[in-house]
Amino acid sequence: MSHIKIKKGHDIKISGIPESDISTGSTASDLALLPSDFKGVKPKLMVKVGDSVKIGSPLFLDKLNPEVRWASPGSGIIKDIKFGPRRVIEKIEIELDKDQQSLDFKSHSIDDISNLSKDEVLDVILGANLFPHFRQRPFNTIPDPKIKPRDIFISGINTAPLAVDIEIAMADDIENFQAGINAIEKLTDGKVYLTNKVDSRLSDVENVNINTIEGPHPAGNVSIQIHHISHLRPSELIWTIAPQDVAMIGKLFLKGVYDPSKIITVAGPGVKNPTHLRVKTGYPVESILRSNLSSEDVRLISGDVLTGRECTLEDYMSFYDSSISVISNEINREFIGMLNPGSSSSRYSLTPVFVSLSNILFPFTSSQNGNHRAVVPINSWERVLPMDILPNELYRSILAEDIEEMESLGLFECDDEDFALCSFACPSKTDVSGVIRKGLDMLQAEV
Amino acid sequence: MKWLLDYLLKIKPNFDEGQKLNWLYPLYEATETILFSTDAKTKSAPHIRDSIDIKRVMILVVVALIPCYVFGAINIGYQNALSFGLERTWVENLIFGAKTIIPIIVVTFVAGAFWEILFAIVRKHEISEGFLVTCALIPLTMPPSIPLWQLFIATSFGIVIGKEIFGGVGMNIFNPALTARCFIFFSYPSKISGDMVWLVGPDGYSGATALSVPASTNSADAVSLLDGITQFDYSWINLASGWIPGSIGETNKFIIFLAAVALMIMKLISWRVILGGVSGLFAMSYIGTLIAPFSDNSMLSIPPHYHLVMGSFAFGLTFMATEPVTGSHTDTGRLVYGFFVGVLTVIIRSINPAYPEGVMLAILLMNAFASLIDYFVVKVNIRKRMARYA
Repeated sequence: MSHIKIKKGHDIKISGIPESDISTGSTASDLALLPSDFKGVKPKLMVKVGDSVKIGSPLFLDKLNPEVRWASPGSGIIKDIKFGPRRVIEKIEIELDKDQQSLDFKSHSIDDISNLSKDEVLDVILGANLFPHFRQRPFNTIPDPKIKPRDIFISGINTAPLAVDIEIAMADDIENFQAGINAIEKLTDGKVYLTNKVDSRLSDVENVNINTIEGPHPAGNVSIQIHHISHLRPSELIWTIAPQDVAMIGKLFLKGVYDPSKIITVAGPGVKNPTHLRVKTGYPVESILRSNLSSEDVRLISGDVLTGRECTLEDYMSFYDSSISVISNEINREFIGMLNPGSSSSRYSLTPVFVSLSNILFPFTSSQNGNHRAVVPINSWERVLPMDILPNELYRSILAEDIEEMESLGLFECDDEDFALCSFACPSKTDVSGVIRKGLDMLQAEV
Repeated sequence: MKWLLDYLLKIKPNFDEGQKLNWLYPLYEATETILFSTDAKTKSAPHIRDSIDIKRVMILVVVALIPCYVFGAINIGYQNALSFGLERTWVENLIFGAKTIIPIIVVTFVAGAFWEILFAIVRKHEISEGFLVTCALIPLTMPPSIPLWQLFIATSFGIVIGKEIFGGVGMNIFNPALTARCFIFFSYPSKISGDMVWLVGPDGYSGATALSVPASTNSADAVSLLDGITQFDYSWINLASGWIPGSIGETNKFIIFLAAVALMIMKLISWRVILGGVSGLFAMSYIGTLIAPFSDNSMLSIPPHYHLVMGSFAFGLTFMATEPVTGSHTDTGRLVYGFFVGVLTVIIRSINPAYPEGVMLAILLMNAFASLIDYFVVKVNIRKRMARYA
């Protein structure tokens, strides 16, 4: 166990922080799974419109790894399957029954789990169609279940703006979490690493290598934790999984059911009552946000404000997301705004003096707060990237499409989410994380 | 101010693609975004952005230069009064100085804006705010007696050759303001190489600059030579507080120090360049004082703390060497880059017989070497990573 102190980074002072009690959201009449959420997957449908499914029934599989299947988060009838250009499957919509039925799987006692072999554990997870909850590094895609990972990393702290507080979300789930740890521990010959904040609820969990971390965002990003605890070499694979998903897998082993509910946040300056909410995977945005918007002209984001995807009220929540963030779309055009250093947002780059000391929260909008310009390297990227990586040089090697250089500058160890703060802080309004994503795609195509 | 915004938005369609005034779009865009903060929205994640942008960065640097202008104007009046033997209040000095520098500022900005707008229109890109800083810096590096036509040519050269031909702000390899200064330095060397003082005074009135005093006398101690000058007060404290003839903005080191601290707190300039530069200057000039007894070069005997306040070192280091685009881009690189700016300044001052001042050449030389320094820093970073991977 060690303690990691992160200095570089920035906690964005955005208003609309969620309340710490969990409300039960309204029940929706439908939900959907979006196969386009998963990078590097070739989906093949296992259901057709009109079929009835239970919670846990497989909806589609990955042609490249046919044993990887996606479980239905609801029971009901397949209402519609939407295709995009070139017949890409965009959504599988399910009309929910009043009476939610689940597939039943074998239940285990907590001691049984410890006696299972690696293959047995994997069979249970694949059999319940829950394997897609694992993701791998490098590239942050769904791993191949046949290849054993070096280690498995779980980030027990969320530092992203307005994200779910894991302490709150896991409060009643410690038992399931422990069972989940006992199960996934079998999947690797290495260790399972859990990184918590100091004095976390999760610090008494056993069979896991616990480290503590403190510091501003992106301290909660799993790539930052991997980098500081046991960094990734280019030939290696690491699996990652979110704590709520570990508890869900634990519940599968203990009770023999797939429980698709999870805690999310509904937050941001555009929300009337920002709160934690219990919903099901794939819930419609409309049912989550119903009557909680503070104005008409807002941008809805599935995910956090740094990495999420813009969506509409008719959309459904993405598979891995655990927040819905809302920011205003109304932009106030200040007269000679460039002469006003105290305008209403974080002023990160000039902040140490003006903002970090105060507790003012700012109602950020979707304004870019400036126009795009050529990069002027005043170190704004370096100050928010707590890794031994030269972001400027990495960025340029990607623009030059120099694969070898990207690799040797450490692109393997990163994910685009780690660079979201660089885009946020950049005075030239450069899309750093987008370029990093492009580089990762190039590198992945090469490997 | 809503009526103005409404008006601007009303005439905007005239500048759209296919309209008669489309070629003037960069000018329209600049006017709109200077007068009103932008309405651009984020297109992808991250959906929120910090409120810092290049306009604010540049305008803050310009604001940090204002005290240099004010002191520069007062000092021009003071030096003028001194040369005529007049008694004047500081307000009269300020008014006199303002009359001298306002035409200089106007000519610089007219020349700079002309080329920036011309290139923006021809190359169809936005007008970049960078020229504001360049044009704010150029007058401060010029002698108050500069003929305006020389200034116009120099500014044009600095903006066009120093910046625009590389693609504008962010792509240039040499500091445009220093390129302008360098152009004038080599084009009109008899006027501007820095061996004679510049001031607005009577015809034929002249004197030696602090740096040229030890340069012109062999085998002597620099400090006692400076103390022996009666025409100007070349004591350390007066060199630092700037009541000496010189370029418009560089004489008062205290004001420059305050500006440097403010810019470092706002993280707009790198403290590493400053630290590297000052240590390079101290190290090299200390070595100089060690060699001085064995040489007849009196420049070598200038002690480090004199080097710091003589000439334009402080100004050049704070506002020119720290320019982020043309300096090193890595943190370690910035230390090395700054260090060699300091070292080269002393070498050019002391050992080079032709030019008593060396800051400008030191910075331009290090601009050329900045990417080489970065290259080695990147190599070290890669080697460290490969060792970890192994």
